[in-house]
Amino acid sequence: MPEERIYEDLSLVRRRANTVFWIFAALAFLVVAYYWKVQILEHKKYAGLAEANRTRARVLAAPRGLIRDRNGEILADNKASFKVSLVRENVKDPDASFAAVSRLLGIDEPTLRGRVDLHKDLQLFEPIVIADGLSAVDVAPVESRRLEFPELVVESEPQRFYPEGVLAAHALGYLQERTPEEIRAQPDRKVRAGEMVGKTGVEREYEDILRGEDGSIIEVVDSLGRVRGERARQFPVQGRDVVLTIDRRLQGRIEEALEGREGVVVVLDPRSGEILALASSPTFDPNRFITRFTPTEWLQLMNDPQSPLENRAVRGLYAPGSIFKLVMSVGGLGFGYISEGTSVYCSGSIQIYGAVRHCWFEPGHGAMDLINAIKNSCNIYFYQLGRRMGIDMIALAAGRLGLGRKTGVDLGGEKDGLVPSSEWKMKALKTAWYPGETISVAIGQGQLQVTPLQIASMTAMIAGRGKGIRPHLLKGAGPAGAAGAGADGSASPAAPAPFKAATFESVIAGMWRSVNDGGTGQGARVADFDVCGKTGSTQTMSREAAERLTRAGREIKTHSWFTGFAPRTDPRIVVTVLVEFGGGGGATAAPVAGRIFELFKELEGT
Amino acid sequence: MMIDRRLIKEIDGVLLGLILLQSLVGVFFIYSSAHFLPGHFHVRQLIWIGISLIVLALVLVVDYKFFVSLSVYLYGLVVAVLAVTLVFARLVAGTRSWITLGLMQLQPSELAKIAMILVFAWLFAEYKSAYLTTQHTLLALSIAAVPLLLIILQPDLGTAMIFLAIIGGAFILAGLKKKTIILFLLAALVVGIGGWNLGLKDYQKRRVTTLINPLHDPRGSGYQVTQSKIAIGSGGLAGKGFMKGSQSQLRFLPARHTDFIFSVIGEEAGFLGVLVVIVLYFSLLARMFLSVAKARDRAGVYIIFTASLLLAFQFLVNVLMIIGLFPVVGITLPFLSYGGSSLLTSYVACGLVMNVKMRRFANV
Repeated sequence: MPEERIYEDLSLVRRRANTVFWIFAALAFLVVAYYWKVQILEHKKYAGLAEANRTRARVLAAPRGLIRDRNGEILADNKASFKVSLVRENVKDPDASFAAVSRLLGIDEPTLRGRVDLHKDLQLFEPIVIADGLSAVDVAPVESRRLEFPELVVESEPQRFYPEGVLAAHALGYLQERTPEEIRAQPDRKVRAGEMVGKTGVEREYEDILRGEDGSIIEVVDSLGRVRGERARQFPVQGRDVVLTIDRRLQGRIEEALEGREGVVVVLDPRSGEILALASSPTFDPNRFITRFTPTEWLQLMNDPQSPLENRAVRGLYAPGSIFKLVMSVGGLGFGYISEGTSVYCSGSIQIYGAVRHCWFEPGHGAMDLINAIKNSCNIYFYQLGRRMGIDMIALAAGRLGLGRKTGVDLGGEKDGLVPSSEWKMKALKTAWYPGETISVAIGQGQLQVTPLQIASMTAMIAGRGKGIRPHLLKGAGPAGAAGAGADGSASPAAPAPFKAATFESVIAGMWRSVNDGGTGQGARVADFDVCGKTGSTQTMSREAAERLTRAGREIKTHSWFTGFAPRTDPRIVVTVLVEFGGGGGATAAPVAGRIFELFKELEGT
Repeated sequence: MMIDRRLIKEIDGVLLGLILLQSLVGVFFIYSSAHFLPGHFHVRQLIWIGISLIVLALVLVVDYKFFVSLSVYLYGLVVAVLAVTLVFARLVAGTRSWITLGLMQLQPSELAKIAMILVFAWLFAEYKSAYLTTQHTLLALSIAAVPLLLIILQPDLGTAMIFLAIIGGAFILAGLKKKTIILFLLAALVVGIGGWNLGLKDYQKRRVTTLINPLHDPRGSGYQVTQSKIAIGSGGLAGKGFMKGSQSQLRFLPARHTDFIFSVIGEEAGFLGVLVVIVLYFSLLARMFLSVAKARDRAGVYIIFTASLLLAFQFLVNVLMIIGLFPVVGITLPFLSYGGSSLLTSYVACGLVMNVKMRRFANV
């Protein structure tokens, strides 16, 4: 082998190789420098990110406080349930994920998408509840396939439960999920997406007492969201209990007494304004839609023409009919238009302001004083009284007895009702008052509108001989069991009596005779209980239409009223009954009220 | 072909020691990052180190000149195997790069790297001009193009890049004129634009765009880089401690025991650990590169240089990739990452360097 083959000149390639090595060395140095920057200079930032990575804060929903009746029996309870939420952050392929989740949970895909869309404002890591009210059996398939569904989170939560179902549903109200709009509207308040809040009734009114304080838990999780440990935990604090003035037994029996008829019953204590029972029919079972999802059932109820979700006691507007004669009597006596002995002759009809008006009793009642006029509910007497008083004095009396404005009951959405006056008509309809209209108002028709609760409240004032009350449902609130602490309801505004006690005594005498002396209210009579009351029946359409229908031989059903109290001296109970399309008040509402008085007496005895 | 006693004395013990040290560091962190997975990866890696050592010994026994003379056949074999792989291999993670040989799974593209080293050594062994001629450039390119295309078709972008590095290294050594460099850059631009629009799969494009903004797609391809950076950065100066890294133990890090093993080191051993490993690498590669002074012939220089470059390039790409300075292309960290094929290739590459070095005296 020649010499130069053995030791050939390799200096050029060696130099090039060395150059490349030193380039590598320089790059390696830069790598070290960059790692220095990330690990030393930016350490804090990445340490924080690593911490956020491995920990997950989870809300521990606080159970709502219980709602109890006046005897401590539970009307609204909590039960354990599970919910499944979706965390968008963990969704890899939205289309595949939606399809798989919808199959797994049996939710149809558009619903699921709509649900997630509804909460698109939320941060990606915030869970969106996609199914709730589930049992342990329901969530088992989700739990067992956790690895396949890292986007799903199963959590237990206390769910509202109404052990008595429909009982006092309107007073209790129901819950619904906080809407995204509400969350957006209160960015500062501690509101959480997906939480259930009181929407109506006591649940809404006393939301602040009932809602507890949510706890939280900081868990250590791995990349698949599996919990590996716990860092810190703050236990949820259950909301305080609310004790209502409602008597569960009375309430239950009253709902039975209504026998499915549409109508309202309000029972309250005239001394304190405590509502012992409040029934509005038709009703609903709030258990059926305690869910975050607008269930078909709820939508049906919403669209039901009978509006079972509406609390007719505070939101139903009715003409008071002959009940209004109590207002006329108190006003007439109180303002001095009549005295107890003032007599009017009823021949069955009368011509006033050029029109013939009839008494409901065609043969006529004959000579009537005030007490008999109340007892027989004589129209002619009150036409005459109405003519004497004029609309504005009638309105003044009605206002003093609490009509035409909210009673101030602790239930949302209460209606004002309407007491017409000349001033009102000028304002609202831009025309002058016709004296003829006064005659309709005098017997509780025309534009008059009242809620059943206003009538109950007015009756309580009559029973109290002028002492007004504010009807209310809250008896007390506090930690579980400590009922009565801080009861605020009984403190009613100590307004001066609007009329003298003697005025009320005369009217009460008429009411007593109406029930106990063969008057229109005799259906409400209870032995040894001295019930005092007044019936009413109200036309549900204009007089002309009614006459047309009568001529055609059609039966016209009127709303049927009864309001009264017992016993006559030191009254302890007020009962107001309204049966929609129940016919005459004496025929339908009075017997229902009678049964309630009897029940109350019975329960009081036990 | 019996090995001489004097030859054994010439074996670079320091280099061997560095390789073994680096491999053992790897085993420790493979244990840390995969002990909770079934499969005993650390034990398997130890077995692979043993196998690799045996293969390394076998490489040392045979004179590298013999390997170079066989390189053309090896090249033919590699092309054939790559073609077969492309047709028959199962699709794993979107690529067809694995073939199963009995119990072992092998990546033929790893073998192809060694074949390329030897083929270039063979090609340039007698090439004495100061600069590369056009004919030689085209010849070298067409030799490299066949396996390169087959690998791109798998598709395995990472290995293809390493191939380009080997080719580029050989060309640098042979001498590139300015004109040729400009020509190559232009060609790279055209191929790059064309490849982006026609050749690259969507996931590959995402990996490149993710490099520019990893938060653009934090759950997709950016996820790996983001998590890796968090792991490294949260390690700080001294790290969170062996087996105490939350990113690795709670599995936020992807491919912890393979491509992202260095992130585990960064998290659990901190900057000090990173520094130690990089210094080890630097010593190892310095010892390999600087061995060109000991090569007795041109083929030896090419072997040492391309083999060193192979490891240096993989090292750089990997440590840049896991910290977000390079697209995630699936390149392992030599000696440290779990994986038999990768380990074996690295050992064989070192073996070739040691082979050349120990036979520096001609005709002994």
